[in-house]
Amino acid sequence: MRDLLLPLLASIALIVVVGWNYLSIPGVQNWSEEELRLITSLSLDALPALPADPSNRVADNPVAAELGHRLYFDTRLSSNGQVACATCHKPELMFTDGLALAVGVDIGPMHTPSLVGLAYSPWFYWDGRKDSQWAQALAPLEAKHEHATDRVQLLHLISSDTVYRDMYENLFGTLSLPATLPESGMPEGDAQQQENWDTLDSETQTEISRFFANLGKAIAAYERKIMPGRTRFDDYVSQVLAESADDTVLNNSEQDGLQLFIGKGQCVTCHNGPLFTNHEFHNTGVLAAGGRMPTMGRYDGVRISQADPFNCLGEFSDASSAQCIELRFARDANDLVGALKTPTLRNISLTAPYMHGGQMTTLTEVVDHYNEAPSSMLSHNEAKPLGLRPVERIQLEDFLMTLSAPLATDQKWLVAPDY
Amino acid sequence: MKTIFALSFLLAICTANAADARLPDLSGSTDKGLKIEIYSELTPLSINQIHSWHVRVIDGDDEVLELEELNVYGGMPEHDHGLPTQPQVTSRLDNGDYLLEGVRFHMQGHWQLQIELQLNGVTDTAIIDFDLQ
Repeated sequence: MRDLLLPLLASIALIVVVGWNYLSIPGVQNWSEEELRLITSLSLDALPALPADPSNRVADNPVAAELGHRLYFDTRLSSNGQVACATCHKPELMFTDGLALAVGVDIGPMHTPSLVGLAYSPWFYWDGRKDSQWAQALAPLEAKHEHATDRVQLLHLISSDTVYRDMYENLFGTLSLPATLPESGMPEGDAQQQENWDTLDSETQTEISRFFANLGKAIAAYERKIMPGRTRFDDYVSQVLAESADDTVLNNSEQDGLQLFIGKGQCVTCHNGPLFTNHEFHNTGVLAAGGRMPTMGRYDGVRISQADPFNCLGEFSDASSAQCIELRFARDANDLVGALKTPTLRNISLTAPYMHGGQMTTLTEVVDHYNEAPSSMLSHNEAKPLGLRPVERIQLEDFLMTLSAPLATDQKWLVAPDY
Repeated sequence: MKTIFALSFLLAICTANAADARLPDLSGSTDKGLKIEIYSELTPLSINQIHSWHVRVIDGDDEVLELEELNVYGGMPEHDHGLPTQPQVTSRLDNGDYLLEGVRFHMQGHWQLQIELQLNGVTDTAIIDFDLQ
């Protein structure tokens, strides 16, 4: 009997350890009132109508969306004729590119975020350096690693293409070119671009910048149509609310994962609301992409947005000062060092790799990262270790896989137009 | 006719009292015993919507005070971060309340507000804790 005691105890210990790590409690049968409130707040049914963008008077103009659609897919809007917005923000990949770091004319410093539902956000870029979708659309056009073109080259292109010119003038009025216009030019470009820009008088510079801003406004009008579709999770919420006997749209593991998402996993603190993002900035201790310096994040982003000539308060905005409420009350503080924008989790299974530098290739790595909550290289990690068991990490990942669905966007916008 | 006037007057008083009777969404006291009442234009208080507050500062005699300065800061101690915005007082309303614009919360959980005011050259502070769902 004594000979059996040790193996017996060892077996019991093994069963306990394995059970603790991998045994799952079957599904969630009854959600509490608080859980139901949280789950309902995440449903696509809770998504309000798309808010107006007072800084863009053509934001909801159909002709502007058509023009933006053409511009979005047109590789002529680049120095090498090979890069369009759609090069990195591919419709077939939920408007991401599947790469760790974006590749335009050159390799960029950041991972390409999805554009799905982005029109709801008050801030753009990982560090929120832009305060409108139209102002955001301008920066890649002139960035050296992205389109690497400039506003003067774009003026030549649009004015010489009759389709573009007609659409532009229909929206924004006559497109008048100065008597002499250099081939290229932009402020803060390379030496030649800067020199060319400086040959123009300030009034002409302003008019060219206004033309440039208008292109961004048209692209934004198109991007506002990119909306998430109804997922299995959304159907599950509807069934639960209807007290349907058949609330099996999500399996047990997925339901448990949902409970972890809104509870022990604390995911919902930042990934809240129907788009699974609070559109805000957090330091979650993600290491910089390999070989790169850690980013200062929102700490720099807020200053850049405040100094941006294309911001809501600038001369190219259509908004009144009173309407620029986010920019006017933007906060600038040390705890924003290393803070980056919370991305949407809708379609997360289709938008790998993850994080601002594409540092993590799988959702397993992402969940493990938040479970561990390592110290941040810069400033502090706002998240705390979660103590999730292995089975819980699997359940959480299973739930995240339920958040993908075809877009609620007309198919015509998801492919290049006929040029 | 007199009866109608009297009833209208009574109704007006009742309506006014009902408006005044609105309970503050948040309240607290300063170190020096002044009362702070916060009336949110967004009710119930909820996340991810930028909005304004009316902030009322009252002394021990229930008199609404005129301040030299009023600043509101805040954050989540558990996560060691501040508010997502920097709200600012932009005007004083007819009833003596201060209009605080640019308030937004971006996470559910425990929040702590620090209200700093200056009255007669003296700085005073109130801490208000609350949970946001």
